[in-house]
Amino acid sequence: MNRTIEIAKKRDHEVVVTRDLQMVYRVGKVEVPALRGVDLTVRSGEFVAVMGPSGCGKSTLLHLLGGLQKATAGEVFIDGVELGGVSDAERTEIRRKKIGFVFQRYNLLPSLSAEANIDLARRIHGNGYMEETSAREMLGLLGLEDKLHHKPYELSGGEQQRVAIARAVVNRPAILLADEPTGNLDTENSRMVLQMMQDLNRRYGQTIVMISHDSEAAATAGRLLEMRDGRILNRVDNLFYAVEPKRV
Amino acid sequence: MFRLVLSNLSQRPTRTIVSMVAVSMGVLLILISVGLTYGQLTDTAQRTRRIGGDFMVQPSDASLFFAFSAGTLPVGIAEVIEQVDGVESVTPILVKFISERFHVVFGVDKTTFQQVNDTLRLVNGRLFEGPDEVIIDTIYAKSHQLETGDKLELLGHEFTVTGVFEQGTAVRVLMDLEALQVMNGTPEKATVFFVRAKPGVDVEEVYGRLTDRMPHYKITKTAELQEIMAGTTPVFYEFLSAMVFISVGISFLIILLAMYSTITERTREIGILKSLGASRAYIVQLVLKESVLICSLGAGLGYLLTFGAIELILFTFPSVPVEVPNHWKALALLMAVGGGTLGALYPALKAAQLDPVKALGYE
Repeated sequence: MNRTIEIAKKRDHEVVVTRDLQMVYRVGKVEVPALRGVDLTVRSGEFVAVMGPSGCGKSTLLHLLGGLQKATAGEVFIDGVELGGVSDAERTEIRRKKIGFVFQRYNLLPSLSAEANIDLARRIHGNGYMEETSAREMLGLLGLEDKLHHKPYELSGGEQQRVAIARAVVNRPAILLADEPTGNLDTENSRMVLQMMQDLNRRYGQTIVMISHDSEAAATAGRLLEMRDGRILNRVDNLFYAVEPKRV
Repeated sequence: MFRLVLSNLSQRPTRTIVSMVAVSMGVLLILISVGLTYGQLTDTAQRTRRIGGDFMVQPSDASLFFAFSAGTLPVGIAEVIEQVDGVESVTPILVKFISERFHVVFGVDKTTFQQVNDTLRLVNGRLFEGPDEVIIDTIYAKSHQLETGDKLELLGHEFTVTGVFEQGTAVRVLMDLEALQVMNGTPEKATVFFVRAKPGVDVEEVYGRLTDRMPHYKITKTAELQEIMAGTTPVFYEFLSAMVFISVGISFLIILLAMYSTITERTREIGILKSLGASRAYIVQLVLKESVLICSLGAGLGYLLTFGAIELILFTFPSVPVEVPNHWKALALLMAVGGGTLGALYPALKAAQLDPVKALGYE
């Protein structure tokens, strides 16, 4: 019950806000606009999917939200802090403390075991997180206890992605940014990964922004945004998405 | 971070091992150069000191390395030295460098030499008596497989080995002064005089009197020999500096190359670390720690190789002295790690500057 109240409280504030966000890449002397003014608000506890064809600006949007790049114009607020107004070191700090990434290609460090990959994220994060969840516990929750010491190349794609999700959320970030998390997975593993993300959102109130061009994957989110040519065209609430956490 | 450093190194064992071996070569180069140089210097100084006496008298421009000195002093100077208050005994020595065997022979006056020297111990045989006899030390006997009674060809002359003395005193071969003077074409001449002060007198005072009495001669206190030799040996420090420079250069370039290629290969991994929130300082530290570890292991391997090389030198050339002072061992480690760290600095800074998005997209 207490967890339900906590999650409900957390839903009150806006974790991500963008205002007229623009991004232009320069290729030689040619300017290629990737984002043409994106306005977006994601409230705490939301699970938002961003859909659209290749080249529509989805990944650029995700990189800007994660502070991996600086926007050409416009503003990005993460938990109230405008990323354009802070130094590179401060942006790194925000990424470390408030953001978790999941990538299409898993991006686990190949030289480290599953446990060490998760542990590394905790160590980089530092000791700020009081309710520390150990890498071992996290892998246990994901049903990967027996894969603790396996290197990424010894894991299937689905298992790697589950470890990557565990690594992304082990520090309880304010927002989880997922870039085509099922893009390299078969149907069964895709289903499993999407189920995991739904569980994270429903049980723990994890705010998620997921990019996908797979409509089935996107349909698992609570809210869908459709992007075209660097703009958000449609915003659709998934009426079938249950936001209440399941009883644990 | 240390686990990541270790796993990165073990992930690419060939490169790690090659880098370590290269660093160890630098350490080996430093320590063997130092070992041979210091060994020779220490050995020469010690053996010269063990000739006995408190002072050496030479011509003013003579070298402390007798091989580079000629017989230019009249033996009669011994009488002048003996008259100085506080002097107990004086012995003249003629030094001859045998170029084909690359060592020196001392011609000594048996009577006065024994007055000044108290370290010469015959292992077997007896002292030389005539002009065709020599005595040799144990190392010379071993390395030339000679025993008492054997013949030895030196200076185009055949000598009989009449005794073998314990190594550590003077040179490897001792013979009669007059015989060597004749062979050298320098009758009544000596290269150096060894002077013993009377027991109980103040050596400094005697030294003062000697320098006053013989202002145009080089007078050296044998107790300070090693220090003076190191300071006056031509290009001693320049040679060691060159060796250190080369060694540091090797570490620098090898680590620079290894880390640069590692960083290029691991661009994507650096992107991952950045996406996890790793700061620039964290990435710089990661690269530097890897290089420090490689260099430290390389230095350790260098110590082992040096130890093996010294054993090999002593086994193959027993008469070659090798000595590595402890402060040089520490310095070699510092040089290897310092050179490697400097070499890793550019790749580390380059890695820290990488654009995370480009790094994550690196194939």
